[in-house]
Amino acid sequence: MAKRQDNEGEGLSQEKQGGLISKGIKAGVKLLVFKEKTPVDNFILEGVDERKQEERREEEDVAAVHTAKDDKTGEKARANKGKLRQKKSKKCKKPMRVKRLSEQKGPITLDNLLVSPELKVNKEYLETIFSLPENKDFVLRDFKIFSDKPTAAFALFMEGMADRSTINEGVLKPLMLLDGGQDSSNDVTGIKMAEYIKERVVYGNQVDIIEKYEDIVEKVNYGGTAVFIDGCPRCILVETKGWDRRPIGKSETEQIIWGPHEAFNETLRSNTGLIRKSIRNTNLMTELIKVGVQNRTDAAVMYMKNIANPRLVEEVKRRIEAVKSDYVGESGMLEQFIEDHPFMPVPQILATERPDRVVTYILEGKVAILIDGNPHVLIVPTTFFSLLQTSEDYYLRLPYGNILRVLRVGAMFIATTLPAVYVAITTFHQEMIPTDLILAIAAARETVPLPTVVEVFMMEFAFELIREAGLRVPGVIGNTLGIVGALILGQAAVQAGIVSPILIIIVAVTGLASFTIPNYSMAFALRGIRFAFTALAAVFGFLGVSAAFFVILTSLASMKSFGVPLLVPKGPKTKTESDVVLRGPVWSMEERPDYLDTLNRRRQPRISRKWTVESGKRGDDN
Amino acid sequence: MIIKTTKLGYSEAAGLALVFIGTKAFLGYPRLISQLGFTAGWLIILISVFVSMGFWLILSALLAKYPGESLLAINEKVMGSKIGLGINMLLFVYIMLSTGSLLRQFSEAVILTALPEAPVSAVAVLFLIPAWMAAHLGLEAISRSTYISLPFILVGVLVVLLSLYPYWNIEELYPILGAGLGPVVKYGFLNSSVFGEVIILAILASYFSFRTKTLRKVGLFSLVFVGIYFILIAIVYLMVIPMPMATESIAPFYQLSRAIYLGRYYQRLESAFVIFWTFTAYLRLAIGVMVVALIIRDSFKIPYYQPVLPAISMIVFSLALTPVDFLQAIEFEGGFRLPYGWVVSFAVPCAVWGVAVLTGKAGRGKEYDEKKE
Repeated sequence: MAKRQDNEGEGLSQEKQGGLISKGIKAGVKLLVFKEKTPVDNFILEGVDERKQEERREEEDVAAVHTAKDDKTGEKARANKGKLRQKKSKKCKKPMRVKRLSEQKGPITLDNLLVSPELKVNKEYLETIFSLPENKDFVLRDFKIFSDKPTAAFALFMEGMADRSTINEGVLKPLMLLDGGQDSSNDVTGIKMAEYIKERVVYGNQVDIIEKYEDIVEKVNYGGTAVFIDGCPRCILVETKGWDRRPIGKSETEQIIWGPHEAFNETLRSNTGLIRKSIRNTNLMTELIKVGVQNRTDAAVMYMKNIANPRLVEEVKRRIEAVKSDYVGESGMLEQFIEDHPFMPVPQILATERPDRVVTYILEGKVAILIDGNPHVLIVPTTFFSLLQTSEDYYLRLPYGNILRVLRVGAMFIATTLPAVYVAITTFHQEMIPTDLILAIAAARETVPLPTVVEVFMMEFAFELIREAGLRVPGVIGNTLGIVGALILGQAAVQAGIVSPILIIIVAVTGLASFTIPNYSMAFALRGIRFAFTALAAVFGFLGVSAAFFVILTSLASMKSFGVPLLVPKGPKTKTESDVVLRGPVWSMEERPDYLDTLNRRRQPRISRKWTVESGKRGDDN
Repeated sequence: MIIKTTKLGYSEAAGLALVFIGTKAFLGYPRLISQLGFTAGWLIILISVFVSMGFWLILSALLAKYPGESLLAINEKVMGSKIGLGINMLLFVYIMLSTGSLLRQFSEAVILTALPEAPVSAVAVLFLIPAWMAAHLGLEAISRSTYISLPFILVGVLVVLLSLYPYWNIEELYPILGAGLGPVVKYGFLNSSVFGEVIILAILASYFSFRTKTLRKVGLFSLVFVGIYFILIAIVYLMVIPMPMATESIAPFYQLSRAIYLGRYYQRLESAFVIFWTFTAYLRLAIGVMVVALIIRDSFKIPYYQPVLPAISMIVFSLALTPVDFLQAIEFEGGFRLPYGWVVSFAVPCAVWGVAVLTGKAGRGKEYDEKKE
């Protein structure tokens, strides 16, 4: 019996194995067989052809004329076009005043509700919409407006989002005590009363008179205070935003020595203000788009109207608006939703927390995306080379800035390939090492029982552990853990004869090099790529390193960031000022990057240092 | 709307041609020309450059008659769909054979220089898979990678040549005419096959964003540039490794890099240079696989080239492993492809040009070409 069971068990496991094998084969075949891609809107950034736009507009007009079936006057055609638009909008539900809940048939929807003149009805609706009084975040405050004939009213605001003192001093106090000009207030009723209060009573710096519930709910959710008055079919909405926020602090992940130290914080308007503070220009545009179906966070798209390519701006807005997800509340999440190649290790969108950097890119013709509640601003399009740059490179004098850049590029290669080269040399190409050095390495490795590649992977893994642990453990302990962990672990590993001392140097130098990469995502990418390089080097020596280089380079060359190839201005070659790896003097950067196809190419005149050509006032050479 | 526009600039076009032609310098080419012309090997290259420039001018005259169209389309237009397709298939076979042959030679060279224990099939597979992946990513990706890596490759070669400065012996270049005027001129003509691979510019003509006139200049530039680069390598090779040893080296560039000795710490760097020339090999193989796939796509009017890549890679792999050993692979290269390759790459297109001139068939006209810029 037991034997039979054993046989059955074996049969089952064989079947399982067979299933696994066939699944494996199927997966392999799937990988090899070409599948046509689902057609998507592939965006390629090109210059704006104004003639084409004009033609398109004309075509639209002509089409409208044809639909009007009246070729005599263009005006009629336009009128017809307007009617068509109206027809389209008629498909939407017709707005209606709210009725008593008992009279309402079917479920309540916000999009077609208007404020009722009856205070009680409005209250009932708000209690339903905001689940009052169960939902304790929303406060509904009843009061009477001070006048000869006191009028009933109530204010609605969200606790925590709205500023208490602003509500007390700027909304309730004037309405309940002061009442602007008392003489005339007795005569005004209905909509006029709302207008009167807006103009003469309430102190708020932003006051709106709103009719639709949809808008009221949105504003109250974002810290506004809604005032409903009996007999008035409008709501007065006062801007009273005021929640606890982190002050503008120092940059945490992009520290520099020379240049401004301030960084973005979690408040959208503070962040847009930081940018506006640096670009005092009316052409700087800020467009707000709601993201996240449930959280409805504001995303601000900022660009220079007279510089940025309109097609790029349009594409950025199109992608953000097309994101349909419950929650998009973080720039990293939005980045994943809108980037071109989500599976590639290298980022295609630059995230920064430095306002000065954002300002530079906006003035270059790029577009900045800010998300409310997030200190990281996304810059699109981005290039591979800009991921290796810092703002300090431009602030420092030319030679110093260039030294830093060369150092960083060198560090990138070290961070990616040093362990791989070490493995390749010690495993396959020992003849490359000078005799003295190879004797030293051999002596150091004599007691080590493990192959070099195992040693490398073990130490790299330990290093990654220390880094991750140091990051998660709070503050001072984290730093201590990092240093102590690295020192003790390294020392102990060498003494235990598990790894050679030379390898400790290799891993430490690689780690240091990886810390010099200024972009957080890029540093992550290099960490992953390093392991691939090391594995290939362990199997094929320098040929493996070469293969890895080739695959990485061709992959990078195939990538795009918002219609711009990632490797521009080198692959493909485009006209560029000297600002790729090395940069030229700031006065020589006369034009904006060619690949952005900006509306205004010239950044500064050919001779920006006018004093060099001024005549007459020159001093002696000596 | 799906936008499918692969448009390459002249820098990328020149990069493709330079790598496609120039990779041979890392294999047995310096040895081959020293076998043919002895100390006048470099003179053979000089003559070949001029011959191939002449051929290229004829080829670009043919392309100028049909602006914006590739050689494949022109062949079909001028010669009719059947004969045109036959000529296109001839090109397909030629490039396939050359890619297979190069794959074998590169694999053997790697075994010889860096991985003596590795089986040739494993090395060939490691060459072919990245090349396939790159071809899958497209012509833009390959051409851009080529353009970006070209300066590094050139610097690598120059470092090897300059590091051998202590061993340069100009006496080794005498007698100037080497094997004699007759053989030098004869092999100079036959050797133009080496530069015949400039034909890829004509095959890819429809993918370029510039005018045919510029394409002619790009072709001429590529030929002259590769010519100078070959001549420099040949001269240094002959100066450092004198005759008759120069005719016996299996991997001349490897031997050159191995000869470097500039003190105890700057010596035996042949393995470091493996990275340079294997990287070039990857680029060359990827371009080969890509061009072959594009020939199939354009000739048979299929919408995608990616589905044929596995088959092409398989055939290239099989062709690479067909020679019994390295020597047989070298014999094929030296005894068949180099002496007769010019027939496919130059003579046949010239014949097509002749037919086009005689029949007076013309393409879209100059206006189309001028729109490009």
